Amino acid sequence: MTTTTLTDALPAHRKRGRFAMRAAVVALLLWVLVPLWLLAVNTFSSPDAVNGFPKSLVPEFDLGSLSFFAGFQGVSRALLNSAIVALLTMIMSIGLGAPAGYALSRFDFRGKESFRLLVLMTRAFPLPLLALPLAVMFIRVGLDDSLFGLALVHTTLALPFAVLITFSLFSGIPMELEEAAWTLGCTRIGAFHKVVWPLIRPGIAASAVFAFVISWNEVFAASVLTIQNRTLTAFLLQSLDVSPMPLKFAGGFVLVVPALIFIFLVRKYLFAMWGIANR
Amino acid sequence: MTKFRLTTGIVAAGLALCATSAQAQDLLFWSTQAKPVEETQRMRDDVLSGFDQPVDYQAADEGPWITRIQAETQAGSGSIALLGGLHGDFTSVEGGLVDLDTDLDSANVVPAYAELGKLGGDGQKYVPWMQATYMMAANKQALEFLPEGADLNELTYDQLIQWAGAMAEATGGPKFGLPAGPKGLKHRFFQGYLLPSYTGGVVRTFKSAEAEEAWNKLAELWQFTTPASTNYAFMQEPLLTGEVWVAFDHTARLAEAFNQKPDDFVAFPTPKGPKGRGYMPVIAGMAIPATAPDPEASAALIDYMLSPEAQIATLRATNFFPVVDVDLPDDMPPSVKAAGEVISYTSKSEDSITALLPMGLGDAGGKFNQVYVDMFERTILGGQPIRDALDDQANALDALMKETGAPCWAPDAPSDGPCPVE
Repeated sequence: MTTTTLTDALPAHRKRGRFAMRAAVVALLLWVLVPLWLLAVNTFSSPDAVNGFPKSLVPEFDLGSLSFFAGFQGVSRALLNSAIVALLTMIMSIGLGAPAGYALSRFDFRGKESFRLLVLMTRAFPLPLLALPLAVMFIRVGLDDSLFGLALVHTTLALPFAVLITFSLFSGIPMELEEAAWTLGCTRIGAFHKVVWPLIRPGIAASAVFAFVISWNEVFAASVLTIQNRTLTAFLLQSLDVSPMPLKFAGGFVLVVPALIFIFLVRKYLFAMWGIANR
Repeated sequence: MTKFRLTTGIVAAGLALCATSAQAQDLLFWSTQAKPVEETQRMRDDVLSGFDQPVDYQAADEGPWITRIQAETQAGSGSIALLGGLHGDFTSVEGGLVDLDTDLDSANVVPAYAELGKLGGDGQKYVPWMQATYMMAANKQALEFLPEGADLNELTYDQLIQWAGAMAEATGGPKFGLPAGPKGLKHRFFQGYLLPSYTGGVVRTFKSAEAEEAWNKLAELWQFTTPASTNYAFMQEPLLTGEVWVAFDHTARLAEAFNQKPDDFVAFPTPKGPKGRGYMPVIAGMAIPATAPDPEASAALIDYMLSPEAQIATLRATNFFPVVDVDLPDDMPPSVKAAGEVISYTSKSEDSITALLPMGLGDAGGKFNQVYVDMFERTILGGQPIRDALDDQANALDALMKETGAPCWAPDAPSDGPCPVE
């Protein structure tokens, strides 16, 4: 109600600006939501409807394709494996990455700049190249076919992001805040816990999302390093691109939904990072 | 902080799970075949469930498949019991395979295929498992545009071009399709069908005038081929949606079209060229890696897979035909009937030119395919002059042959030493 009167009162160029802004928001929303909607519609449609034309925009709630996956041997196990590996990756990459980021932003030490660059080097070599020596080593050490081993690999992949994101987070928090806490009787750890931690929590959540997504999406290492304990991506992705269309949609849906649920759960922290609290 | 406790709880549970997951091991069947989820499911439920030990059938892409085997070979211990793959897959991992002593004669395996399994050496590196080939499929709506006097079973490439042209004109858009996407099997169309039909060879005749004519014909056909072809992997989908009316593909990659709408499609042999009809059988095999945990159980699984019952079950599951002599029951799915008729027609007709899969190339099989794919991309897609590209690619092919020292294989005439590009 007030918005309309407000807009009416605005000069023409502001109105145009606002319109462009809204159009951009709508376009972005459609960009993200339309593919997801089509994925959902086709997942809940019968094979005939998926292959037919014209396409319907409303699902007919045919559960045939989805129930195929429910009955596909090992899917639930693979889903659980994926979640465990992603969680382990998240925890390890934050556990290792956040202290590294803190050290980079708070302390001066020799080789700091080259360390920052070196951190990125783990992403410089493609996994298909690393997978063979890794697999050989894992088999010898006994880490082969274990979720922990795979989580280690994924942590390596996610670590650069964790380090660099937390580095910029810590750098964004004035040193003076911490120093003030010290003068009021906090230890270094106490100050971190009481002052810095609440401020960086949203950022940590963001880098956790990154780690989660990296682990969730990774196929090659997962399919070489795990055999009996496959992750959902390794389990399905290789088969999906050569499967019939209705199953591609259903499989895509199965892969996307858990990631969506996770992001939905941590959205509070993500919004907080952008200054919109408690949505 | 409760959230934290929750996460730690989940992680602890996860770690516990990792620790307990070293369960009793099923026999691991590590394969590049039957990858589509439904086929994997049928392999497990309908084929392998009949074996007296539990088998874990895992289908993987070639990359992870090879890497995993190499890793187990190098580490000297492994969990894979049995390998399944195409002829070309095994050439990449030859060093890690044991010589098999499966009794192929009493299993009635086609002798020519058994020979392929030696990979050019003395020991039986893999045993044939199943076979397939390529064929054409057409929507019945397309038949009215067939050029006058054309016989579907005796179609020539010229008639195919006319037909594709007539369809494009009548419907306002190209209706012919090739599996020319990144995962499509277009290189087999060039190596096994187009080139042998025009030149009678694959390597020797690579830059002959006949080869130039063949590529020119393909360029003509490409005008009436839907440009979406460069995205297609399996032609069954565009056939089912009606995007494409006439298509060439692997029998297993056309199967769904016949199974879902048996009354809408016809199968027919691939076209003929001046030299006859090029024809390429596809052989998948089974092998045992040197690091198999229980080689005897693996060998028993091979014997089971070659039994007539398992072979027929495999045909139903994957649309790959038996490699042993069996009588097929009458109640096979429509795709099997359609493909079966085409295969028997082709193998009986006198002007068929059998083009075998590349032999003796070792792990350079991918490079060999790339020569033909590059040819396609440079000339048909990129519009470069065919003669120049042929001469250029012929050098690459010649170098590859000399590097690997591979002698000629059918349909090229046998050679002493590396197969020459003439």
